[in-house]
Amino acid sequence: MEVLQNIQLTKDVFSLKLGGEFSYEKVQAGQFVNILIGDGKTHPLRRPISIASCDVEERSLTLIHRVVGVGTHWLSELKQGDRIDLMGPLGNGFPLPDENSKVLVVGGGVGIPPLYELCKQLSKLNCYIDIILGFRDEDDLFMVKEFEKYGNVITCTEDGSEGVKGFVTCALVNDEEWTTLYSCGPLPMLRALKEHFSHKEIAGYVSLEERMACGVGACYGCTVETKDRTATKRVCKEGPVFSWEEICL
Amino acid sequence: MNVNLGVNVGSLELRNPVMPASGCFGYGKEYAEYYSLNQLGAVVVSGTTLEPRLGNKTPRVTEVTAGMLNAIGLANPGIDAVIQDELQWLAKQDVPIIVNVSGDSVEDYCRVVEKVCASGLAQAIELNVSCPNVALGGIAFGVDKKVLRNLVESVKAHCTLPLIVKLSPNVTRIQDLAVAAAEGGADALSLINTLIGMQIDLKARKPVLANRTGGFSGRAIKPVAVRMLHDVAKEVDLPLIGMGGIYSGKDAIEFVMVGASAIMVGTANFTDPFACPNIIKEIAEWMEREGIKNLEEIRGCAL
Repeated sequence: MEVLQNIQLTKDVFSLKLGGEFSYEKVQAGQFVNILIGDGKTHPLRRPISIASCDVEERSLTLIHRVVGVGTHWLSELKQGDRIDLMGPLGNGFPLPDENSKVLVVGGGVGIPPLYELCKQLSKLNCYIDIILGFRDEDDLFMVKEFEKYGNVITCTEDGSEGVKGFVTCALVNDEEWTTLYSCGPLPMLRALKEHFSHKEIAGYVSLEERMACGVGACYGCTVETKDRTATKRVCKEGPVFSWEEICL
Repeated sequence: MNVNLGVNVGSLELRNPVMPASGCFGYGKEYAEYYSLNQLGAVVVSGTTLEPRLGNKTPRVTEVTAGMLNAIGLANPGIDAVIQDELQWLAKQDVPIIVNVSGDSVEDYCRVVEKVCASGLAQAIELNVSCPNVALGGIAFGVDKKVLRNLVESVKAHCTLPLIVKLSPNVTRIQDLAVAAAEGGADALSLINTLIGMQIDLKARKPVLANRTGGFSGRAIKPVAVRMLHDVAKEVDLPLIGMGGIYSGKDAIEFVMVGASAIMVGTANFTDPFACPNIIKEIAEWMEREGIKNLEEIRGCAL
């Protein structure tokens, strides 16, 4: 694919817009692409990055990622017109609810981007969307305005420099009657959400992150144990989105 | 010019010398979404044990310069499920199947091998005596000459298919283990399995992999693998299957020149899902350019 635009959103979060040949029509919110870093000779493992937005009419894909290592650093330095090799869309995305459902979307840090495409899809279904976005601090904020197009957004920061002080669960004071929770973020956040809603009737879908080698289900590198701990599921193949009832968070 | 890519590994006839290495190709279904498996010389399925195994904790994989470390821990659903859910399907793909077998005891190995042979679905067995990522089940059998000879001898008595023994590079003299496997009755040898490595996360101040150590594979290990294949070919008169960092047709030819009859492709599948078909094409192109009709003409020429 070809780089259409590469924008820095915060000191370490970048938004990469890609165009060119891709199965845009097939994209489900929550799926990812697996990107070759350079020519792959020094970096043999592709980097899985979630799809933040897919524009079928414009034929473009937006990936939003945080620079955490050499692979994402390479991505952050791409220029308009550069070509990259990626596989996808891969994995299974978020199952969508019935029309007009009242849903809660919770994202933490670099887990936020795939929830953007989800909100677009939920909005098409006329869902009422409450959105909680958790960041480290005010300088870490990104995509908040974009999410505000689709729902009622509460932001949280760990240091209280913006919005509610504390983790995303601190923003859950008056629980509404949400039918479904969609979430992506650090494991402790997903666990806290599950605990918070343990006595409520709510379907929960979480998107997991794990180090991967193949990205297609062949290497069994990115597994997560099922709830009864008798089997495993592959984050890249059966996931990255799972019902929190089926896996051991 | 007509190039004949067909090779024989002992009694095993393959349409070409390229097969995905065990553990890098699952049971074939995932890559069958990218190309038809009947292009391959054979499919070598993931390490299979008697009972299901969940494998190690994650992180199980990490990248290193020009390679990777893995510590999957022989995750597999157990031989009965593998036969039922995987080999039944794979047997319909018109490609020879090699089942990689691992175990915690001689008895386990023998029972798995018996089940594979009885299923009638596989064309060969690859004995994994070199998995570096589990306490038992492999490496313990692959680093001691007597233990290895005894295991191969016992398995051979239960095995009606060609028996390939996969050697560990984590020994002082790999050729000694090759001789032991040959004495035990191996029909062929495959080498090398992964080298044992470690990578440290500076921020966390501990190893990246939950298992601490992992098997090192990829481009970076190719010179070690070529040297080891060379050393084994010098001392053992068995068909050899070479692997370790093969990414191109030329990489594959290096192994052939030091005596390999066929080759396996591991990490390259992750970098490029079309690695195996590309390598097959590149071997044919190289042969054509060099005026070689059959790989036998150059096999072992660098020994």
